[in-house]
Amino acid sequence: MSEALETERSFVDKFPEEARVVRAALLSSFLALVLGAIFGIIQTLHRTDVVRIIPSTDYYTLLTAHGVFLAISFTTFFLVGLFTWAVTRSLDRPLVNIRITWTWYTIMAVGMTMTGVSILAGFTDAIDMSADVLFTFYAPLQAHPLFYAGLAVFIVGSWIAGVDWFRTWLAWKRDHPDERIPLQTFMVLTTMAMWYIASSAVAASVLIFLLPWSLGFIDQVSPTLTRTLFWFFGHPVVYFWLMPAYLLWYTVLPKLAGGRLFSDPLARVVFVLFLLLSTPVGIHHQYLDPGIAEGFKFISMTNTMFLLLPSLLTAFTVVASVEYGARQRGGTGLLGWLTDLPWRKPEFTGMMLAGLMFAAGGFSGMVNAGMNINYMIHNTIWVPGHFHLTVGTAVALTFMAATYWIWPQISNKPIYSRSIGLFQVVLWFIGMALMSNAMHAQGIMGVPRRTAEPEYSGFDYPAMFGGFEELNIQIAIGGTLLFVSTVLFISNLVLTMGNPKVSGLAESLPPALSGPDDAPRVLDNLGLWVGIALTLVVLAYALPLAAIINRGGLLGPGVGTYPVWVAPVLDALAGAVTPLVGEVAGSLVGVTP
Amino acid sequence: MHIHAYEKLWLAASILLILLLIGSVTYGAVGPGVAMVADSEQPIDAGGLDEDERFSEPRVEQVGENEYAAYVVAYQFGFEPSPIVVPEDSTVTFYVTSRDVIHGFEVVGTNANTMVVPGEVSEITVEIDGSQEYGLLCNEYCGAGHHAMEGKVNVVSQEEFEERNSGGDDA
Amino acid sequence: MGQNQAAHASTDDVSGDEEFDPIGTLTLIGIYFVILLLAWVYVYYIEFLGRDLVVVG
Repeated sequence: MSEALETERSFVDKFPEEARVVRAALLSSFLALVLGAIFGIIQTLHRTDVVRIIPSTDYYTLLTAHGVFLAISFTTFFLVGLFTWAVTRSLDRPLVNIRITWTWYTIMAVGMTMTGVSILAGFTDAIDMSADVLFTFYAPLQAHPLFYAGLAVFIVGSWIAGVDWFRTWLAWKRDHPDERIPLQTFMVLTTMAMWYIASSAVAASVLIFLLPWSLGFIDQVSPTLTRTLFWFFGHPVVYFWLMPAYLLWYTVLPKLAGGRLFSDPLARVVFVLFLLLSTPVGIHHQYLDPGIAEGFKFISMTNTMFLLLPSLLTAFTVVASVEYGARQRGGTGLLGWLTDLPWRKPEFTGMMLAGLMFAAGGFSGMVNAGMNINYMIHNTIWVPGHFHLTVGTAVALTFMAATYWIWPQISNKPIYSRSIGLFQVVLWFIGMALMSNAMHAQGIMGVPRRTAEPEYSGFDYPAMFGGFEELNIQIAIGGTLLFVSTVLFISNLVLTMGNPKVSGLAESLPPALSGPDDAPRVLDNLGLWVGIALTLVVLAYALPLAAIINRGGLLGPGVGTYPVWVAPVLDALAGAVTPLVGEVAGSLVGVTP
Repeated sequence: MHIHAYEKLWLAASILLILLLIGSVTYGAVGPGVAMVADSEQPIDAGGLDEDERFSEPRVEQVGENEYAAYVVAYQFGFEPSPIVVPEDSTVTFYVTSRDVIHGFEVVGTNANTMVVPGEVSEITVEIDGSQEYGLLCNEYCGAGHHAMEGKVNVVSQEEFEERNSGGDDA
Repeated sequence: MGQNQAAHASTDDVSGDEEFDPIGTLTLIGIYFVILLLAWVYVYYIEFLGRDLVVVG
């Protein structure tokens, strides 16, 4: 293969500027991971009543931070780093304007800092600011304006990142007029197109309603409307998390297995399906909302069930690609080939364990998607059990595994310890299996999510699955293992950064077995797919949104505002300004106030 | 576009699975007749519950032969009435609303679970069997005291129910 | 190297998937399918429909 003759120059040798951006983005991502993990361990031990070091009222500040730092910051920063690498690598050219690249990165960092500060200020009374509204923020709980403003800034930064990559692709296209879009770039572009559609509603919710409301310009906003706009975004965001992981499973994992991607065309089909179907499903998060007709919920359910398809297809294609690699390495037998794989490599094992866990998460996802079975598990701890398998493992563990493979190429530094890396990814899997399994079981018992103290004075939970206390212990142990695993991951990376640079760390990616030329040209017609995606979104949302606004008005039926941030800043300002004004006036007029 | 025969097989199986899932949910709606919380009730003024005939005095009352209506108000941080007492072997429709923020209404260990949105009334009808006590909790984060927000749904005998309702207050 | 050079390389390598039958994958995914079916039937019909206070209106 021509790849074998490839130059020994690594990614950072060829594209030093882009590599710097990738490293910055990944490090921002891991900073969020560290903070999120610290809060996670405190939460786990608090909820399960192992040790409670904070007052329970502060738990919700912690929970907001855990959710926002992990589900928005960690995931998105990793995505922008990964996508920068993928676009540059697959187009084999630098980005069009590196200053724009640093600009969007800075905007994102500034935005997340604003939001982060507003959340963390909730821990201290010294600052009149808090945002105990959780990651799923909608009225009538209200955060400090800085929270909403920061998120808006952060999202705008991500939009500019997408423009950066689109422009780079267009520049490449001018030089390669008849060629198919390289697969990794295709994945980046479809993901971003999906993101523009998905984030539009939450941006609208923040800019039109939540931010003006928190600043006092409007008196009230509609809970049902802001919920619906949030969930318009809140479902596709999980695909924003997953699609980078899929990019890695499709384009890198086969190489790690010693194989090749089974089918490039099918990978394109899967990403197009995500572009089309990720957004018109958000109402499945609102199955138990009053104020929304059952018909709209049913439509959302059928769309959601079909959204299973791209993931199910991915399972086949990815495993087939790995099987191909195993057989190339000499594996035989129906399942015996599984032993002929590089299980000692943390990047390989991490991704495989992530995929395995995702298969389990897929099942609980099917349950979540079922409209009426939602009665059984809505807002119980089953739901976090589910998403710790998906974003918490399929995505997070894949990202950690990928880091072991990518970091040397973007820095010319070898990983400090591959054996610690291997231990860390396996520990993650074990910890998550324990914790998530217990969460699912407790959920079926009716134990709620998002609560500082799930034990109540007036009643006991049904005795099932070994009982509430037993399961608490499992959650606590699982969560602790996850924390230890995170510490190992970060330490390994920090020590890696201290390593001296070497050469010879370049890695190439082999072509697919069934390549892009086997894919119908229409798949590359992004305009067509965006058009269809928008149509589906309009079909799924126009009527429900119109009905909600019609029922309760744009600003909702008579509802108050519940600021969860302490003491209006304006009062404090007024208190500071009044004496000042008095002094100025006094000195002008010669009278002391 | 070439798709391997095995992958085509899997594609067919996946679609069948999806149809099975949709079919199960549809069966649930049509056979046992599971209905979703929806927009059957009109929006109300959350700030004006004191003037509302149903919610100014949260209570359980008989509305038909073996049919009862339970008017429940969720608030930071509890439920009214507390406990909610209903008679056994009856059909009860819960009408639940909020005075302040969004809450959840979950009868622990059962399928009675709904969001409670200020300005809206959630209506759910369930069949009540024999006497027992259910825990009730709020499962939607509603502020600093969320973890303390609980109640009870007590199913009692017909006689006991009548006694409580004709005697004293709504408790 | 870009995918483009690689794409040319793959055409002399006769579409690999003609020669490669992922029978192991089919087996594994078949097992997964059966687990999904059984788990769904249990969770939906037995656990969900079997519990108290099913909402019927």
